[in-house]
Amino acid sequence: MFTAAGGAISSPCMGSILIVNGRVIDPASGHDAVADVAIEGGVVRAIGAGLSRGPADRVIDAGGMLVAPGLIDPHVHLREPGHEHKETIATGTAAAVAGGFTSVCCMPNTSPAIDTPEMVRFVYDRGERTGRCRVFPVAAATRGRLGEELAEIGLLDSAGAVAYSDDGDCVATAGMMRRVLMAVAATGKAFMQHCQDSTLTRGASMHAGAVSARLGLAGWPRVAEEVVIERDVMLNRGVGCRYHVQHLSSGGSVEIVRRARAGGQLVTAEASPHHLLLTDEACEGYDTSAKVNPPLRERADVEAIRAGVADGTITVLATDHAPHSADEKNLPFEESPMGMVGLETALGLYREALVETGAIDWPRLIALMTIEPARLCGLDRCGMGMIGVDGPGDVTVIDPEASWTVDPGTFAGRSRNTPFSGRRLTGRAVATIVGGRVAWEYTGRG
Amino acid sequence: MSSSPHGTIGGWSHHHLLGLQGLDAASIRAVLAHASRIPACGPSGASEAPRRDDLRGRTVATLFFEDSTRTRTSFTLAAQRLGAETVDLSGGVTSVNKGETIVDTALTVEAMGVDAMVIRARQSGAAAMAARRVSCPVINAGDGCHEHPTQGLLDILTIAEAHGRAETFDLSGLTIVVVGDVTSSRVARSGIAGLTALGASVVAVGPPGMVVPAHTHLAAPGGPGQVSVRHDLDPVLAQADAVMMLRIQFERHGDAPSAAGARRGAVIPSIREYRHGYAMTAQRADTLRPGAVVLHPGPMNRGLEIDGEVADGSRSVVLRQVSNGVRVRMAVLAMCHAAARSSRPFA
Repeated sequence: MFTAAGGAISSPCMGSILIVNGRVIDPASGHDAVADVAIEGGVVRAIGAGLSRGPADRVIDAGGMLVAPGLIDPHVHLREPGHEHKETIATGTAAAVAGGFTSVCCMPNTSPAIDTPEMVRFVYDRGERTGRCRVFPVAAATRGRLGEELAEIGLLDSAGAVAYSDDGDCVATAGMMRRVLMAVAATGKAFMQHCQDSTLTRGASMHAGAVSARLGLAGWPRVAEEVVIERDVMLNRGVGCRYHVQHLSSGGSVEIVRRARAGGQLVTAEASPHHLLLTDEACEGYDTSAKVNPPLRERADVEAIRAGVADGTITVLATDHAPHSADEKNLPFEESPMGMVGLETALGLYREALVETGAIDWPRLIALMTIEPARLCGLDRCGMGMIGVDGPGDVTVIDPEASWTVDPGTFAGRSRNTPFSGRRLTGRAVATIVGGRVAWEYTGRG
Repeated sequence: MSSSPHGTIGGWSHHHLLGLQGLDAASIRAVLAHASRIPACGPSGASEAPRRDDLRGRTVATLFFEDSTRTRTSFTLAAQRLGAETVDLSGGVTSVNKGETIVDTALTVEAMGVDAMVIRARQSGAAAMAARRVSCPVINAGDGCHEHPTQGLLDILTIAEAHGRAETFDLSGLTIVVVGDVTSSRVARSGIAGLTALGASVVAVGPPGMVVPAHTHLAAPGGPGQVSVRHDLDPVLAQADAVMMLRIQFERHGDAPSAAGARRGAVIPSIREYRHGYAMTAQRADTLRPGAVVLHPGPMNRGLEIDGEVADGSRSVVLRQVSNGVRVRMAVLAMCHAAARSSRPFA
């Protein structure tokens, strides 16, 4: 039932786990109190104070910890098939569980693209056979992600695509975009737009500003993102597709989404850890670890995105986990690929950007990483993104005070491309339980 | 000779010269002062080239991953006049064309035993990448649209000499107009960083897209000089003490436009429109005040950004730039080599 259309971790788990004394935060129900959680047969059996320890195979003492629904990342790149030297479903999900995620939604910019029902089934199959957490495919909205012909969205829907996106590329023309919105609207799923008018970003490898001017790099203006959101919001009027803006990078984009939501439009948006913390100055010295699409912008943008999270304009957090090999990232800046890994550092970075600054509190942060992305991808209908009796045994135990240092050498994922190497973080997942099994535990190293 | 007790020259402590951005005014003055003490030769100077022995017994490699004849020749002469042997790896024969990275090539050349390398590449940041990996001095001879620091220094030396500032290299009060494709110009980036660090005011002028508001940030952080940007040349010519004409880099802007028409991808609609606004014509040169000089980094597109009449005329210091290029490169090679040796005296 809750394993969506084949949503990974297929064999039922017979063992039982009792998590005791933790602060159980379930934003969907509003539960926020110290309690025990009993998981058995892959399912949450009971939540309450003083549950009997008797029959549990495993007792996890979560005193001082937060017990959250399993974290969900609705935007990751697992690179399989086609780019297995960067990441695979096996290594990417290993990174996911190390970061506390029990479900990830993977983008279709693989080779070949996830644009057929067969490819959707391939991802589910590989996820079940090699994944450490649940893997849900986001399917391409157009064939080959080329923006020219509509993909078989009806068939993709039946195969279990949880959302649609040409991520990595924007659906460029208004005509095709309108057809995509109509087709996706008919499925009830969300369309996730990679907002980039490529006619404004030709040759660009970083934010257009003082730093790009000094470095002699072609600049990527904010308006390249904003103009697409504004257009799509207009196109979607009267169509009513669930339209989702991926990885917002500009303060102007936040304002467009804010206005559209206030006007009653079906618009959601996500923010990524790096856009909540870093600016274009991270690219100084041609540091390719900070080269990302969309680019890191300026302090005012970082503040505006945090404000957007604080006031509810931005409801989803997503890492845009984008692994690349060291050889690729060691190329000259303009030739180096865009993207950074994010799954293993996300929680601590979100805490620093949003909780430490007072933008939101822990329960809201957990909502942005659980029930909100679950709703975006329709996983809430399978009980994901929440902790409920008879719901899936997906639980993340978080130590909100754990202090640790980012060391890419200890990453579980295959790639190491992060601009956060050496950063001291507070807060991390200490146990990741997927379908009633402990998929990962923090051993205190790293 | 101003060799310090520690073996450095003029207090210069940098192993590499990767750019003028971020280089302090004292270092810029030190290298210019050293260059100015090297006699100029050629038509405007001594008949006999100066000879020194700073690099006697040493080898300097020129790694030019991008076409260049003038800069490579200038560096080669500079190294030879310091007593060094030179070895050249130019674009057509380097392994980069076989897929080897610039860093691999630099490491390979260093492993053969060279004492300094001069690198040009089309990628911004390329020389810095190599410098992080090799232990010998690296001189940036142009990296993409980023920097061309020896060109910046030779331009500043030329301007300072023309205005009697070559004793102090204090350029305050001077207005330098930079005309053309600043966006694509490493010459402009280096020149503007150095000029403003020494106190000059810079006006960047060119068509929209070639000159953008963010170019005000090309000024040395904290000044003293500032950069302003504008799209009209004629009103600023009368205030200029020097005009630096930039070459239109068609290779960075898609196809060259035809004389009157445009082609797809070109930044400027037509050559005649560009000339109308920004070319240094004889007529415009006449509006310059006495003492103002015209520079061009070469190679010139005569009849496009500069008229032959001006290039060959009395205001032109184009050949002085070329001659100063050798002096500046001698100074840079000698100073970086001395700095590297002083930190590793037994190397």
